[in-house]
Amino acid sequence: MSDFRRAILPITTFVRIDVKRLFRDKVAIFFVFVFPLIFLLIFGSIFSGDNNVSFRVALFNESESEIATELENQMRENDFFQLDEDVTTAEQAEEKMSRGQLDATIVLPAEFGTVAEGQQNPSGNLDITYNQSNENAGQTLASVMNSVMAEINNQFVDTSVPFTVTASSTDTQGLSQFDYTFSGILGFTLLSLGIFGPTTVFPRLKQRGVLRRYKATTLKIWQFFTGNVLSNAFVGLIALVIMFAAAVLIFDLNMRGSYLNLAIVVTLGTILLFGIGLAIGGWAKNENQAAPISQLVTLPMMFLSGVFFPVFLMPEILQNITRFIPLTPIIDSIRLVITENASLLDLGSELGIILGWTVVVYLVAFKVFRWE
Amino acid sequence: MKSSGSKPILQAENLTKHYDGVQVVKGISFDVKKGEIFGILGPNGAGKTTTLEMLETMREIDGGKAIIAGIDVAKNQDKVKAIIGVQPQTPNFEEKTKLVELISFLASCYGEKVDAIELLKKVNLEEKANSYPENLSGGQRQRFSIATALVHGPKVFFLDEPTTGLDPQARRNLWDLVKEVRDSGITVVMTTHYMDEAEILCDRVAIMDEGKIIALDTPKKLIKNLLAKGFKKEQHVEQADLEDVFIDLTGKALRE
Repeated sequence: MSDFRRAILPITTFVRIDVKRLFRDKVAIFFVFVFPLIFLLIFGSIFSGDNNVSFRVALFNESESEIATELENQMRENDFFQLDEDVTTAEQAEEKMSRGQLDATIVLPAEFGTVAEGQQNPSGNLDITYNQSNENAGQTLASVMNSVMAEINNQFVDTSVPFTVTASSTDTQGLSQFDYTFSGILGFTLLSLGIFGPTTVFPRLKQRGVLRRYKATTLKIWQFFTGNVLSNAFVGLIALVIMFAAAVLIFDLNMRGSYLNLAIVVTLGTILLFGIGLAIGGWAKNENQAAPISQLVTLPMMFLSGVFFPVFLMPEILQNITRFIPLTPIIDSIRLVITENASLLDLGSELGIILGWTVVVYLVAFKVFRWE
Repeated sequence: MKSSGSKPILQAENLTKHYDGVQVVKGISFDVKKGEIFGILGPNGAGKTTTLEMLETMREIDGGKAIIAGIDVAKNQDKVKAIIGVQPQTPNFEEKTKLVELISFLASCYGEKVDAIELLKKVNLEEKANSYPENLSGGQRQRFSIATALVHGPKVFFLDEPTTGLDPQARRNLWDLVKEVRDSGITVVMTTHYMDEAEILCDRVAIMDEGKIIALDTPKKLIKNLLAKGFKKEQHVEQADLEDVFIDLTGKALRE
């Protein structure tokens, strides 16, 4: 055998065995393939569709005017409102609001929609009350009702409004919120595969003396690393295919980009995140050392990379930091490929940050690795 | 055994090792001849395992020099690793991995491809080829570990307390195996704290205590020297002991 073939023999042998080993381990299968699917189902059903927002509202229509009746019917038919028919008194409504079972109470007073004396047109005032703990929902409802009222006003008073706002989605091809959320879910899966795997497995192998046994052979660290990286990237791609299939079949994921680009981006992301796990697990002598550090690294990444809430809601300082956290460019480039058909060139800055981190992370991993 | 005139395959000169300022190996020297079973004996904490691990490149040599087959252990770790086989005290392997797979991976670590079944046959485990190591008995695991240590055809084979915790049948079986390894031309260096084992198995032994070698010779010679000093056992030695009874009653066949 040539020197080159002798050098890659441990790598190919390791990958072949390591992948088989994974499929024999029910616990590993659960965490690698099933758990991300459950995660996808839960988050997917929260974020799927774009008109799913609705408010639970108690409506007291005390008016008998035509306008009030019409408004009540409209609200009853509209999915945006879930009218609570069980509530009959204001006290009940207040109690339900304080328990968070109702978002708001809307009162159409008796004079609502009637023509007041000396006026030409009907008028009225609509009351919205909400619990302080539910301010967001209350204010959203208020502004929604405001525009409803404005619409009604237009019917009666013929005015030309000088300044208006037209809101429309930039994407006309109908991207659902799920399409955006999916990249976050995928990023989170890669994060847990890449970091929780090696940070629990390596310390355990060290404690049992398994890695020490390899140290006694002529196996080099780079061979061991490469074998692990390749087997993990392979498993990551399988997990991606499964999640992708579920996303397309169940949540109608709208894939715009090229599957090859997606696979490349996911592979690079997997290699980077696995490097972080390799550095921590390769350094730690036991699980007690590895666990707190992997938490310390993963938690901020999860919260700052836009997996759980959008980056633009963060203070500006955090937004600037966020851009350079390893997980952010991974999620961004996955999303850009899926939703905007981004090419690898378009993703230049994201891929640059990913590659930069990869170099740093693997240098550290080599430096701190211990066989025992 | 080769004649004592041939060059030793392993030379240890004035080896020292300390942990946190405490010297645990205090300048020991010995030679191992090609093709012999060399035993390092001693109570727990005598420095046996540390000595072995320095020779195996598993621990840094703080002072002195070790040469195996003409190669300086401290300077050429990879070259030494390529010609030695190592059996750790408690061999453990990755779980959910077939024995044949573990063997081919360990062989690949040396850049070698081997016939895994053939190796398993040598240690009488061919019917376990597709089992996982976590399902082996203690004796089977030791035998398997020997097979994995021989994947690359080493010149010197190091064993650290190979029979600790094994039942009498498994111990005897392992002794036979170690003798077979020696007879195939591989030099064996092993530690043990069982004197019966050393007496039956080892061609020469070094007895260590508190980091020093306090005696080094063939077991027969060491006994002869003691008797020459006028030593007498207090009781008349029986022609059999309880272990003989045990083996007589339960047979030599392996139980696993």
